Amino acid sequence: MKRRVFLLLAFLLALVPLGLLSDAPAWGEWDAEYFQKVLGYVPEGIRHIGSSIHLPILLSDYQLRGVSEVAGYYLSAFVGVALLFGLYYTIYLLVKRRS
Amino acid sequence: MHIPDGFLSPETSIATYAVAVPLLIVGFKRLKRNLNEETLPLISALSALSFVIMMFNIPIPGGTSAHAIGAVAIAILFGPWVAFVAISLVLFIQAVVFGDGGISTWAANALGMGFVGSFVGYYVFRALKNFKFAPFVAGYLGIVASALFIGIVLGVQPYFWSENGKPLYFPFGLGVTLPAMVGVHLLIGTAEGILTQIVYKLVGQKSLEEVLA
Repeated sequence: MKRRVFLLLAFLLALVPLGLLSDAPAWGEWDAEYFQKVLGYVPEGIRHIGSSIHLPILLSDYQLRGVSEVAGYYLSAFVGVALLFGLYYTIYLLVKRRS
Repeated sequence: MHIPDGFLSPETSIATYAVAVPLLIVGFKRLKRNLNEETLPLISALSALSFVIMMFNIPIPGGTSAHAIGAVAIAILFGPWVAFVAISLVLFIQAVVFGDGGISTWAANALGMGFVGSFVGYYVFRALKNFKFAPFVAGYLGIVASALFIGIVLGVQPYFWSENGKPLYFPFGLGVTLPAMVGVHLLIGTAEGILTQIVYKLVGQKSLEEVLA
């Protein structure tokens, strides 16, 4: 039962570059240039936050600078999956230690 | 469906955090209760599955795209509270590591994709329990409900926060956001429905009861 879910996960991981087929952004997830183009201005809050929040995003837009789109997307998928497994394992250890 | 930073007013961010944090505390307690050697791999794998499925951007007519979420599959297997926490963790990693969605908007995204989707999906599934395609319908309606919530949160921004007639944050009102968000997800609902049905079939009710017993 568990094995089948892991196989599904592996299957989807292998196919993940298919997610790159659409280069259209999701509805409502536009960047500042979109608003400039459509409205003729960028709403204050969106412009302001664009220049104030500067987190060091390592794999921005699921891509790594200097590697191909497909490689970056694969890498992002594996990193995300690994982080989630690590996160849950950490939570599990913390829960176990306390009980 | 990931609202980026800057699209919501600070007031909206604070309000959504104020609602989401207490709910997350409840959810974490449920997760702790359900987390053991048997369930750990499955909950981790289903959360990873949610992360990966969100990377499959499906083109939608009209120059946009959308993706399934995978919340309802977790909700019908482990309950809506666990699903809400799981999706919130996925969204956190997406925001911090991949710049997908925002930090100030994390709570709003978690409430929409996590809480609303999980609970609607869970109760639809419960209501249709004996119907063969209950997981599909639950997944379908769950993601449409999530889209409705996100559409409302985005769409109210220009009514409350404008200056000299110019919106300060997300500029389009409910007349635009609701048809767009709900419309897109009436199509994407099919993907969420199929995913939910497949995962439910793969895990199987019997073996799940063994795990949770």
